[in-house]
Amino acid sequence: MIYWGGNPAECHPRHFTKYSLTQKGKFIPNGRKDRTMVLVDIRETPSAKAADLFLQIRPGKDFEVITALRAIIKDQPVNPKSVAETGLTVEQLQDLVKQMKAARFGIIFFGMGLSMTRGKHMNSAGVLMLAAEMNAFTKFVAMPMRGHGNVTGSDMVMRWSTGYPFGVNLCRGYPRFNPGEYSTVDLLVRGDNDAALILGADPGATMPQPGIDHLARIPTIVLDPKVTHTSRISRVHITTAATGVSAPGTVYRMDEIPLPLRPALKSPYPTDEEVIRRIREAVAKKPAWRPSPNGQMAIV
Amino acid sequence: MTLSIVKNATCTFCGCVCDDIELHAEGEKIVKTKGACSLGESWFKHHTAERLYPDALIDGKPATVDHAVEAAANYLYDANMPLVYGLSNITCEAQREAVFLAEIIGGVIDSHTSL
Ligand code: SF4
Repeated sequence: MIYWGGNPAECHPRHFTKYSLTQKGKFIPNGRKDRTMVLVDIRETPSAKAADLFLQIRPGKDFEVITALRAIIKDQPVNPKSVAETGLTVEQLQDLVKQMKAARFGIIFFGMGLSMTRGKHMNSAGVLMLAAEMNAFTKFVAMPMRGHGNVTGSDMVMRWSTGYPFGVNLCRGYPRFNPGEYSTVDLLVRGDNDAALILGADPGATMPQPGIDHLARIPTIVLDPKVTHTSRISRVHITTAATGVSAPGTVYRMDEIPLPLRPALKSPYPTDEEVIRRIREAVAKKPAWRPSPNGQMAIV
Repeated sequence: MTLSIVKNATCTFCGCVCDDIELHAEGEKIVKTKGACSLGESWFKHHTAERLYPDALIDGKPATVDHAVEAAANYLYDANMPLVYGLSNITCEAQREAVFLAEIIGGVIDSHTSL
């Protein structure tokens, strides 16, 4: 079990005990004792205490380490000098590969420390390739450590409704997918959008400043249980019930298992679902548009 | 005030989505959680059903939900390339509505995954 660029001890406190590390299973009757846990990170976080092996790499060198590992599993030569630049030695990587191959079922959990540093999407792609290639030797999978509650659900819903998991452009009336072009940060920083609907997120607190400036320039609409930073720069804010606390529905766990919510409170506010449906119905009453050949919207 | 107990409640603070939590609710507040970690516990206790905020705001001024829905629909309809973003803290049912809305306004829909 490899955790890469994540700190579950602090960010996903029950990950070890409920799902991954200490649970007993049919083929691992002794739970923790039957598992090997490796942590790869740039810093020794509290999660390192739980690990059998902690590999500290230099910041921004994830992609190089992944690439070296992919070469070593196939017995290809690697340059010890370039490996040394990552903060590890070839021997450490060879030892890791030996343990990976000896596993009956391996998993790489990768966190934001991997997917948000230098390399970004390419790092995630590298880990997925590494896991795929490990299947020539033993069963191996990779799984992202998801931060927000139902971010997995949004991947799922968009996947089965548009064919793509995120960053889907429907401007032409059919879905197009291109991370980096249709991803929010890039769109907002370039100033491409001329309106925004923000659902249960607070980009006004987390986006790069040019993105926030753009949100303040265009009509922004926020649906949130609280008046957020983004609400303050928006034209319209609608308060909604808090998902899971007072709004019912379904959410996906990070391993793509759908779970029902059991709200304990009754909110005085409508749910997100209800408000979005009402906005959708209000839009649907207006004449429909379709894209015309010159790229402009035509009303039909 | 009566105490109501919800067993096997689901925490959505982080991606683990633990579904074995016991919640004790009193009126508008969750007063006790069993099984949740410290992050989950503070999350549950933090969200109350009190009316702390106005129903809606238009240009920073309190408004009714009806007016706000109408204003939102107009802005989104008039835009050439509206963005629908977030989706990570809402239910799948709401996400489905959001995809439908994004389609009829001809927009881009994106979540925290792209970060
Ligand atoms: S109880 Fe803790 S680990 Fe479980 S979903 Fe909530 S925050 Fe995450």
